[in-house]
Amino acid sequence: MKKKRKTLWEHFTSCYLLLILLFIYLPILYVILFSFNESKSLSNFTGFSLKWYENMFQDRTMLQSIYYTVLVAVIATVVSTIVGTVAAIGLSKAKRVVRTLVLEVNNLPVMNPDIVTAIGLMLLFISMKVQLSLVTLILAHITFCIPYVILSVMPKLRQLDDNVAEAALDLGANPWQALTKVIIPQIYPAILSGALIAFSMSFDDFVISFFTAGVGINNISMYVYSMKRYNPSVNALSTLIMVVVTLILILVNVIPSVREKRNKKEEA
Amino acid sequence: MKKMMAAVLTLVMLLTVCVPFAAADGVLNVYNWGEYIDKQVITNFEKEFGVRVNYSLFSSNEEMYTKLLSGASYDVLVPSDYMIERLLKENMLQPLDRSTVDNLGNLCEGVQNLSYDPDNTWSVPYLWQTVGIVYDTTKIDPEKIEEAGWDIFLDPEYAGHTYMYDSERDAFMVAFKALGYSCNTEDETEIQAAYEWLIKMDEAVKPSYVTDEVIDSMANGEKWMALVYSGDAAYILSENEDMGYCTPKQGTNIAVDAMVIPANASNPEMANQFIRYITEYDNAVMISEEVGYASANAEALAELSGEGGTYEGNAAYIPRAGYEQDEMFHDNETLKKTLSELWIKVKLHE
Amino acid sequence: MKSFFRMSYPYILWIAVFIVAPMFMILLYALTRTGNSTLTFQFTLDNFARFLREPTFLRVLWTSLRVALLTTVFCILIGYPAALFIAGLPERRQTMMVLLLTLPMWINMLLKTYAWRGILLNFDFASETKVFIGMVYDFLPYMIIQIHTSISKMNPDLKTAAYDLGANKWVTFKRVTLPLSIPGIISGITLVFLPAVSSFVIPKLLGGGDYVLIGNLIEIYFLTAGDWNFGSAISLIMALIIIASMWATKKLDRNAQEE
Repeated sequence: MKKKRKTLWEHFTSCYLLLILLFIYLPILYVILFSFNESKSLSNFTGFSLKWYENMFQDRTMLQSIYYTVLVAVIATVVSTIVGTVAAIGLSKAKRVVRTLVLEVNNLPVMNPDIVTAIGLMLLFISMKVQLSLVTLILAHITFCIPYVILSVMPKLRQLDDNVAEAALDLGANPWQALTKVIIPQIYPAILSGALIAFSMSFDDFVISFFTAGVGINNISMYVYSMKRYNPSVNALSTLIMVVVTLILILVNVIPSVREKRNKKEEA
Repeated sequence: MKKMMAAVLTLVMLLTVCVPFAAADGVLNVYNWGEYIDKQVITNFEKEFGVRVNYSLFSSNEEMYTKLLSGASYDVLVPSDYMIERLLKENMLQPLDRSTVDNLGNLCEGVQNLSYDPDNTWSVPYLWQTVGIVYDTTKIDPEKIEEAGWDIFLDPEYAGHTYMYDSERDAFMVAFKALGYSCNTEDETEIQAAYEWLIKMDEAVKPSYVTDEVIDSMANGEKWMALVYSGDAAYILSENEDMGYCTPKQGTNIAVDAMVIPANASNPEMANQFIRYITEYDNAVMISEEVGYASANAEALAELSGEGGTYEGNAAYIPRAGYEQDEMFHDNETLKKTLSELWIKVKLHE
Repeated sequence: MKSFFRMSYPYILWIAVFIVAPMFMILLYALTRTGNSTLTFQFTLDNFARFLREPTFLRVLWTSLRVALLTTVFCILIGYPAALFIAGLPERRQTMMVLLLTLPMWINMLLKTYAWRGILLNFDFASETKVFIGMVYDFLPYMIIQIHTSISKMNPDLKTAAYDLGANKWVTFKRVTLPLSIPGIISGITLVFLPAVSSFVIPKLLGGGDYVLIGNLIEIYFLTAGDWNFGSAISLIMALIIIASMWATKKLDRNAQEE
């Protein structure tokens, strides 16, 4: 295809998306900026300093909180994405009454204030005589992450053509093949966005984590919310997270395109 | 997609395997407010006693209490006075081993002989504070505020220039004290009068109801006056020269955060060692210097506020002690419920 | 297709244990009097009556619903075009955009809200405007991602067919793209409206504390006041109202689809 000159409409759409990104990243830039602030202030930039980074690396509780946050978020995302996707596919074939009922229950953790989910889960663990620990924390996170996966995957499933899966079954595929070869590839974007949302939810949760984590387990949000006085090291921490994630994203995006180019060259 | 799964699985395995915490002989579980200690003190303690301190954080007494209901076992807690009272009532604490915790001789005047635990059988004060008013001396005459005390919150001149702390206990304390009542009163007419006082306050100064963001805001001089804890006021005053601090003449609330050992602690012996360690002069100085709240250790308090000390000349650092109208809160769940409900109505008042 | 439905058994078991059982305990609290640990139950409807009798509480509920509704509307208005435009990009760019939108969600919400507080200090907005900026900011990515997922990978043949049949861009949008994106909008609404009703950190920090919202109220009763019975009752009332309003939305969806 020839490169066309951008139309006015295309310019407009790019500008719109750029504005959205600007809006989304404005406070992030602000957080990053104040990680380099000399004073503790959050609205008054007094001078450049790296002391909050130093402070962060000396703070074991804070470093541990990164570890727990990432560990819990990764496990919760993997489990909830798998369970959620499978459940959503199953539910899409369920009777309408069953589906509506289950989805309504599924919405409960999304709709309940965190404190209600948190106390509910804590009561559950107490009544089952389970000591709070890392495991209960992960179970709680999986519980509130699955609904987000289902909410993402369900609408895509509704768009799906039922006949394709049935045709696959008729042609002798077993349900597992129909699932992995036919259904999942078609809803892949929805699974991915469900996983992303689940990961964000887990990463940012405070209240539920607070009441379901065992002794000595703090995640980043617990650290941030319990600060009696603001410590800009949390800005430094956030900056670090942004940098690491950005690097990963660049790697993930650059490596395939480099490989593609190389493949093309080899072909040529 | 398979590659991605593999990557994720590797990550999980890496995370689970490389547990980044070196094993130590023992573990001590400490449960304290966030940003309420000098981390160096913990590191030093670990080195000296060969234990690993597992540090957990909470942001309110009630959160901590609810978490304890789950049966979680901590070794040292640092709740406030009224919460210790409740924990004692519910038999959730164990007495200190006073043969280990033996250096309480230098507790400062404000934290001796406290009603919830007069002879320190159960608890040792950590840091303490009063509640007062931080104000911009370029906008408000210090004499005027000393004269008016809490009644300054009824002065319409400061409409739109005031921060009120968003906590039912503190706000009602202000009203009770302004009216000359006890801040623990259960008398319905007095509570009603305080409610009306707060409504008047809401109309007169149209305050912004804030919590911890008040510290940064007042350090920037965004408003003229604010209800603040003395420990936070000490920080504000050290950041902004224009700010002054007043402990109103009608009396205020004294709050003490103290170290206790829960009944279900798994390492009480080390908990007692930890408490004794914190009460030592050097450590008391480090903690109070870092946090800005007044030390319970008289010598540390004198050192930090004395010549060359970090808080020399800081009007908010040393809380007022021995003043007759000053009081501590007592644990009273019914009162707390009543006040929370009334407080919502005050905030929603138009 | 029965074999497919069986796949959701593990999940149904999971929600029975981790969602239904805890909610049952909350219900038990809402229906009983006093006591975090009493074993003798005294059933009562007082907790519900107490909420419905008090005008202040009803006003809080109303404000929460209004704030959540407006937030949702703004998110759709701003998010829909964004999702549409993203879907028009080449595929790799689309993934990139979705990741770019997700990334900021990994920074702690409290920190971002503090940042907004700092930024908005420089502007003389009404506190309500500030609250909406903060709320829309927090929830917009969910809406965009949901809508985008529903229109991305949409069968392009449908569009081409519509063009071939002489439909112009607008008609194609109205007849093809929009109806297909409705499930996405619905789940976007679910992801924005439901949590928005019970959120309170943003309104509290950006609205100068004048905003008492239902989530705030529930938190006060659970933690500060230690009255789990009443707190549970409030959360159930809220849940009922939300479920009712979501039913209404779904009705609309069904009607729209039948058209």
